[in-house]
Amino acid sequence: MKINTVVVIGAGTMGQGIAQWFTQQNLIVEMVDQNYEFALISLDRIYQSFDKLAKANKLSSDDVSHFKKNISVKKVDDINTNADLVVEAIIENLTAKNTLFAHLDQLMSKQTIFASNTSSFSINQLSQAVNDQRKRNFLGLHFFNPATIMKLVEVVSGLETNPEILNFLFEWFNSKNKTACICSDSPGFIVNRVARNFYGEALRAVDVYDVEKFREVDTVMKKVGGFKMGPFELMDLIGIDINYSVTESVYRAFFDEPRFKPHRLQRDMVIAGRLGKKTGKGFFSYET
Amino acid sequence: MKHNIQSDHNKIMVVAQPDHPLYMELIQHYKVRTLDEAINSFDTYDLVIDLSPLRTQKKFLFLNELAKTTKADIISDLTLCWGEWILKYSPQVKASVSTLFYSPNKAFEYSLRDESDETFLSLIKIFADTINQEMIGHKNLGLSFHYPRTIAMIINEAYFALGDKLASATAIDLAMKNGVNYPLGPFEWGEKIGLHLIAQLLEELSTITRDERYKLSTELKLQAFKYQ
Repeated sequence: MKINTVVVIGAGTMGQGIAQWFTQQNLIVEMVDQNYEFALISLDRIYQSFDKLAKANKLSSDDVSHFKKNISVKKVDDINTNADLVVEAIIENLTAKNTLFAHLDQLMSKQTIFASNTSSFSINQLSQAVNDQRKRNFLGLHFFNPATIMKLVEVVSGLETNPEILNFLFEWFNSKNKTACICSDSPGFIVNRVARNFYGEALRAVDVYDVEKFREVDTVMKKVGGFKMGPFELMDLIGIDINYSVTESVYRAFFDEPRFKPHRLQRDMVIAGRLGKKTGKGFFSYET
Repeated sequence: MKHNIQSDHNKIMVVAQPDHPLYMELIQHYKVRTLDEAINSFDTYDLVIDLSPLRTQKKFLFLNELAKTTKADIISDLTLCWGEWILKYSPQVKASVSTLFYSPNKAFEYSLRDESDETFLSLIKIFADTINQEMIGHKNLGLSFHYPRTIAMIINEAYFALGDKLASATAIDLAMKNGVNYPLGPFEWGEKIGLHLIAQLLEELSTITRDERYKLSTELKLQAFKYQ
């Protein structure tokens, strides 16, 4: 088994970061997006990032020109059909993902490994779009934002995934300075499940909208617990709508397990359009 | 009661068990008594700093027993208690702290019965400085202190995940440290705190709230047994 050529589908924040990271591992990378012009903009951002890294002496000029040569934007029907790995990082929409995987299954060679960067869908559910043989080459590769910096990759095994592929990718990522963690296909995988109550319990400790209390909880969790950010400032940064949606998705996937029950304050903030930093107001205010 | 004990630790009795995470620091600076020793003591003190690891009902009974032997005011560790309840029914408790759960940053939460009480603020400050800890304020203590209840829930979920065979404990620890920058993985954290304390806090929260979210993972329950 080898990984020399990678196709990344989806050129949003995650897809762009994943494509850049693979390029920096000296691989040949093709980036695809439904919107070709958007993919070109993402490619330009990657180029700018390489230039910035060179300016900061983190990459040599040779590296930069090499990487720029190795990454390209393609339309889905023009990709290298013999690529070793395809990583899907498109919108979290089951129909869109299934349609894409079914199409790729027809297009790609039998050996190509299929991976999804999904954070909310089951790998077993997504792999239904491909044939039985491909199911053995199908797994989750869940990167964290920003993918070029965050070390973790959750390597998610579906019921049919070939253990040799899992172990190969586990070793491969670890050899590339990522921290790979193998886990089974379960809602939220590791991080999005275990971290749920960092937010959920903090919301229950406060219970109502109270900025002073949000600040108090954040301070305690940073100064006593040693966390880099408090739960409320972190929800504001992630987006309260996104955090609420992950919580709801895990809660539903565990058949309304009370440990994951969303808090009404999250819902009320979303209804009020106070989504965090991106809207200028969340638990805290960011308006100048 | 007026306190003139800023520099005289002989006027303070600290109640703590030998497995308290700060025990070694405490015995260097204070007269430390176990629960039994404390309620059978004939010595006189101006202040009792009670760091006993008791849940609400037992804490209430202990504080009542203590009140029979001393008129001293009390700063009590309410990590495992329904804080609001103890403050309501144990008037001798003037302030509360949460020192039972290991802190990676050497810090603890405190809460004053009367937020404007400069005397007890200053007493807690002296206590924190003496044992080389930072103190972080928590106003209007309700159900529980923030850090213990939150970290207990995270660790409990990690044990649920382990029980579900989601991943190995090593993988879960690594994932939380590298995926969301936790200072420790939940299993490492649980070992540092003591799973018996986590189990007791969650059982207490469950008893008080009757909320099923606080139910203990079987795996954590099994592991906590070895600490008792």
